[in-house]
Amino acid sequence: MTPEQRQKIQPTWLGKSLAGAVLGLALAYILIAFFAWYGPGGIDAQDKVQFNMWMIPILWLTIFSFTYLFNSAKQTWLMLGGANVILYSLFLLLRGGL
Amino acid sequence: MKVRADILRTYQGVHTWTGIIAGLVLFIGFYAGSLTMFKHEIQQWAEPTTAPLTDPTTTNYQSLVDQAIAVYPEQMAKGFELDLLTTAAPLSWYTQGQARGMHLDNQQQTAYLDADQKLIITVQAEHKLADLIDYLHRTAGFIGEIGHDQSGVYILGIAAGLYFLALVSGVIILLPTLAKTFFALRKEKGPSRFWLDSHNLIGVASLPFHLIIAFTVVVFAFHDLIYDGLAQFYGDKPLFERPLAAAHAYQINDLKTIETQIITAKSYAPGYQPIHISYNALNSASPSALFKMSNAAAVSRGPDTDYLAINPYSLEILYTSYPQGEDSFWGNFTASLFSLHFGTYGGDWGRWAYFIMGLFGAFLFYSGNLLWIDKRMKKDANKTSTHLMAKLTIGVCLGSMLAVVAVLLLAKWANLLIGNINHHYMLCYYVVFFISLACCFTLGANKASYTGLITLSILTVCLPISSVIQGLNNLALLPYYESYPVDFIASLFSVMFFFIAKRLKQKPIKDKVILDNKTIEFIR
Repeated sequence: MTPEQRQKIQPTWLGKSLAGAVLGLALAYILIAFFAWYGPGGIDAQDKVQFNMWMIPILWLTIFSFTYLFNSAKQTWLMLGGANVILYSLFLLLRGGL
Repeated sequence: MKVRADILRTYQGVHTWTGIIAGLVLFIGFYAGSLTMFKHEIQQWAEPTTAPLTDPTTTNYQSLVDQAIAVYPEQMAKGFELDLLTTAAPLSWYTQGQARGMHLDNQQQTAYLDADQKLIITVQAEHKLADLIDYLHRTAGFIGEIGHDQSGVYILGIAAGLYFLALVSGVIILLPTLAKTFFALRKEKGPSRFWLDSHNLIGVASLPFHLIIAFTVVVFAFHDLIYDGLAQFYGDKPLFERPLAAAHAYQINDLKTIETQIITAKSYAPGYQPIHISYNALNSASPSALFKMSNAAAVSRGPDTDYLAINPYSLEILYTSYPQGEDSFWGNFTASLFSLHFGTYGGDWGRWAYFIMGLFGAFLFYSGNLLWIDKRMKKDANKTSTHLMAKLTIGVCLGSMLAVVAVLLLAKWANLLIGNINHHYMLCYYVVFFISLACCFTLGANKASYTGLITLSILTVCLPISSVIQGLNNLALLPYYESYPVDFIASLFSVMFFFIAKRLKQKPIKDKVILDNKTIEFIR
């Protein structure tokens, strides 16, 4: 894609911010959920739950702050929503429930 | 570094709006946070000077506790505090209220042994000045409670989230010019350029500090909610293992000796000295003795010290905030995040560094607001919203600083006269704050900032003057007065406020808004 063809970012604040707030948080949770069960130490490692809790807001806020890089609000919802659907389904499959 | 123009524009918007929404509460949070680094020193400064009652090196704590238990078995069994360093009364317990949370009505009984090893008991209201500074830091002064937390904590939590976005977007919009202009403080290009340069310099230079603060504040505010959410993914696994209560209740008369307990606490890890013990629920199946353990050479997790909780009967270790060695990577990692917020990893130098960083942080928000106002004024000097924001910025920033200084003055004088002064502190803070805000709206931002700064300077210089008057009034106690650094710093700030105010007066032609040590002018 040449620069001329590339779409300009639309600053659709409300749509992107909402997506960042809601879907970003959901995404942060599911990423940490995988980390908690399948990351180093597994689910039972001592004090790991504290680490997991701390990582959720930082993941969330990082995702949130970069949602404005999506071209439009619709794209933000589709991409973040898609990632969420895939990861949550995978988690449900692996764990057989939340 | 090149960044596409549309990305820059987008993030400029993010930066502006997050900053404008969160800036003012964060200003209060930051400068009050600076004060919390020295809140104990400030409280000590405000309390009447007293001759030492006891000598911590010779006090017989065992006899003190035993005698108190003999007189007040019920109240002592509920819990008591034993301070191992103080020269005032070392033992205290609550007859009304409790240690946790903000209770302005707390009544304490304090006890010490006189020269004949006789128990002397006095009743007093617990002094909360240090806690109130902390309260202002954590809530920015918002009243009200949600659940067991102050609502202001949640407001600051949200503000900290916005602040994180403001930091990321601020760095992104700086990227294209960062290498060229980072160290440039361009005075010749006009005041607003100079302000922008210093805003950027401070923001980028202290970026790690700011990222840590933003992130930790979100966690401090919302950890309960985040844990609740996380529990959904843990399935049947409990998040935390609860310690099992003993099968039977203990009796306070079977308490192990204080010395045995101290030896247990000391032998847990070398280098840590116990400075304070809080006993809790002694006639129950789950009693605890929480030791505040100080080790100047180690990173500590609490605001002042590390913690070690033991069962004072079985001497079993219940909980510890110490670094746990290599096999406990997770616990150590989160522990270090706590100390990065509290600034408890660098001794006194660390505290001073955090004090200054906090003030720089406050400056960051203040200058950010001014830059926004400046830009909007240039576009349209008559826009109501811009004038409103200018008044709010000056009113809130100066108002909260004036209010804190007024509270300190009240503390210095009324402690001599009034038994429980905690409610007066709150009232005084809000009255001064809202009067300042009202003045700012009636006088206008420019006049109010000059008058406000002069008042601030006068009030601040009254702090050391009060110390001098009270010191000369009672020369016998003067040798025990230790708060000279507080008086010195207050004088310094007073002079600073005065010079800023004077600078403001020198340039009467142009409109300006000012605070701290910088000036900005609006070109009408």
